[in-house]
Amino acid sequence: MFRVWQLQVNQFLLPKEGAQVSECEDAIGVNAAAGRFAVADGATEAFDARSWARQLAHGWVATEPPLLTREAFGAWVAEQGSVLHDAWQGRVLSWYAEEKARRGSFAAFVGVQFELGNGTPRWTAIALGDSCLIQRRGALVCRALPVADHQQFTSTPLLVPSLGGLQESTLAQARVESGAVESADVFWLLSDAAAEWFLRHAAEADGVLDRLDNLLATGQAEELASLFQRERRTRRIKDDDVAVVRIVVTGS
Amino acid sequence: MYSAQITRANPTCLILLVDQSRSMADALPGDAGIRKADFVADVVNHTLHDLVIRCTKTEEVRNYYFVSVIGYGRTVGSALTGLLADRASAPIAEIAEYPMRIETRLKRVPDGAGGIVEMPVRFPVWLYPVADGGTPMCQAFTRAKTILEQWLREHPRGFPPTVLHLTDGESGDGDPTTIAREIMSLATDDGQMLLFNCHVSSRRGPKIEYPATDWSLSDGFARTLYEMSSQLPDNFIAAAQQLGVAVEAGARGFVFNADPSSVVQFYEIGTSLTGMTPHIWMDA
Repeated sequence: MFRVWQLQVNQFLLPKEGAQVSECEDAIGVNAAAGRFAVADGATEAFDARSWARQLAHGWVATEPPLLTREAFGAWVAEQGSVLHDAWQGRVLSWYAEEKARRGSFAAFVGVQFELGNGTPRWTAIALGDSCLIQRRGALVCRALPVADHQQFTSTPLLVPSLGGLQESTLAQARVESGAVESADVFWLLSDAAAEWFLRHAAEADGVLDRLDNLLATGQAEELASLFQRERRTRRIKDDDVAVVRIVVTGS
Repeated sequence: MYSAQITRANPTCLILLVDQSRSMADALPGDAGIRKADFVADVVNHTLHDLVIRCTKTEEVRNYYFVSVIGYGRTVGSALTGLLADRASAPIAEIAEYPMRIETRLKRVPDGAGGIVEMPVRFPVWLYPVADGGTPMCQAFTRAKTILEQWLREHPRGFPPTVLHLTDGESGDGDPTTIAREIMSLATDDGQMLLFNCHVSSRRGPKIEYPATDWSLSDGFARTLYEMSSQLPDNFIAAAQQLGVAVEAGARGFVFNADPSSVVQFYEIGTSLTGMTPHIWMDA
């Protein structure tokens, strides 16, 4: 029986080819002390999507108590949406930016909370869209949500809207799931392009994920960027922003 | 084919050919008595508005499209005005910046509490309704062909250009079939040019939408327009089906005796391009 559990966390963010990091619309939230992690992926065509993704990812991991039910998450998103829209007030916008702002912002979101205290260690995740949580034990993918198969990614995922009028029906479809943790399990939070790519390589068992794991574990950011750039050039991954969080849970 | 990604580095071209002949002053069928010219100008303005919004990323309009609006009636030429009037083709960011004027209109929007409220919004206007002169359709197609040939020299590998042609009557300057076929034979590496035709009439007649054969076309002019309409690529068919329009494989981009809703759908389908949401297919 393990008495002490530890989390080892690595993260990696890469903008689209040719874009600056400041243009990246994927966001990562890490609160290691609370065992809480998130990835949000702002929709490129939405207004101020980068701000919305950052607000969701950073805010979710910082909120106490954790937002692990649809109701709690929905109420919190409503508040956050108001904060975002209030921040736009007073800005002098062109007619097209004003129209875009009126439609609000959108982002995919996935967050996971680890409970490693007393009792059986567990995780609980909430997700809406196509940013994914993947639990890997050895080379085996034990769980993946909200998308479990690389062939199930679509061009029209449900996204977390900032606009109040759209939130109730959309957020009702958020997935909330939980599961058990075993020592040496590796959890991945990934934005959509990376998640689709990850699940396809997991199905093909071609060793690419071991290389990803190794590069993240050893903090080789330049090598990681080269890996994704090569995969983009050969069209094995869509040219999209990439957000990756790797969480290794170990008991001793 | 028809799968090239539309990006700022690899944009595509859209030409809207609009009949502005005298007969466009007649009313559309129905009780509302709306003039065809007024209705079509409004739809074209909405189409340009939606293209701009689709290309807007927060406060920047990205040049995924270059757009021409050619009117033909008393004259043949750009139907845009002001700084855009002399441009054969303008990047969508300049279309966004230079409407002829910006009106205030009321728009129905959710109030956030389950209700609907009307709020004033800014609505740009690029195209005035015009109904004057004859129907020099061949001249209009010739103008479009010149623009397209220039475009293809500069963009040989992009998503093929699209021409959306709207008319209410037969050509007044000869048979347009030859010049239309010349346009349809132009191509990029990704496929042949797309020419879609929409016919509106003042008379209430049976509407024919996106036929795959000419069997149902008894009217000679309808058959001419059918012959000069490209087949809808699969992604356009998907866009039509998303709009609830029954379209089968092999369908031509052609509507005859279009009613107002068909005109709106014609422009929506014609500008849908890949049929996917912009954030997926516009990558950079």
